[in-house]
Amino acid sequence: MMNGLIRQLSDIVNNYGLPQDFVVQASFYVIAGLACVFAFGVVAMRNIFHCAVSLALCLFCVAGVYLFLNAEFLAIAQVLIYVGAIVTLFIFAIMLTANIEDRSIRQANRQALVSAVVAAAILSFFIFIIIGAPWKASDAAVATGPGLENLGRALMSVYALPFEFISLILLAALVGAIVIGKAGRR
Amino acid sequence: MIPQNHFLILGAVLFAMGLYGALTRRTAIGILMSIELILNAANINLITFNKFIGSEALGQVFALFVMAIAAASAVIGLVLVIAVYRNMKTIFTEKMNILKW
Repeated sequence: MMNGLIRQLSDIVNNYGLPQDFVVQASFYVIAGLACVFAFGVVAMRNIFHCAVSLALCLFCVAGVYLFLNAEFLAIAQVLIYVGAIVTLFIFAIMLTANIEDRSIRQANRQALVSAVVAAAILSFFIFIIIGAPWKASDAAVATGPGLENLGRALMSVYALPFEFISLILLAALVGAIVIGKAGRR
Repeated sequence: MIPQNHFLILGAVLFAMGLYGALTRRTAIGILMSIELILNAANINLITFNKFIGSEALGQVFALFVMAIAAASAVIGLVLVIAVYRNMKTIFTEKMNILKW
């Protein structure tokens, strides 16, 4: 059972004689691999402007992964909020703070090796747990997820109060950003 | 179809990358970018478990909340970076020590 966009894509490919499951799986692994590559670019590149562009591409690939999880609304929201707004903010902040794009400036501090070892240890621990754990999961072929209708219903009924609190938090962040960022307050 | 493990491993990889970046970056902007990666890894896990377990939309609702909180934290963090840069002319975190004695 697949969602709309992925199904349409695989229908198009199906007309050319390729098996549908193979196309869906292959496109997932390509998108997931690209997300990992761009995430590595975010943490490893020297020029911080390139890091911001790599972050945008990584978040775009994660939005593609959301499509495979039957979360179309979240994929669209990811592109709008992250790629459209947050990465733009990062690029503005990079441009407003001078001369950090220079390649000669060291971007990593002295604990890079220790951090890499710690991150690799935690990653291998997680993968060990994930592979070994007996997940109480339904069959991958029949799992459909909640669907857009359930998401909208939940947001407007059971989780209406947290939803309103989120807008309050966003308003507070907006006012706080204006107050902190106001120039010439001496 | 794609099994649940592979989505979870993708989330773990993104989390480890974000952790490495948050620990090693010298600039505050780089640390904020790495934190966005970590939040995305958490979102992937939430939506994965929502797809494979249960028919309620709890995981997707919370992923949406995480996105909103991430936007708010990015705004506040970048404004703080700009305010610190205006006062101290640096965004390197090892120079931001005026709150220490």
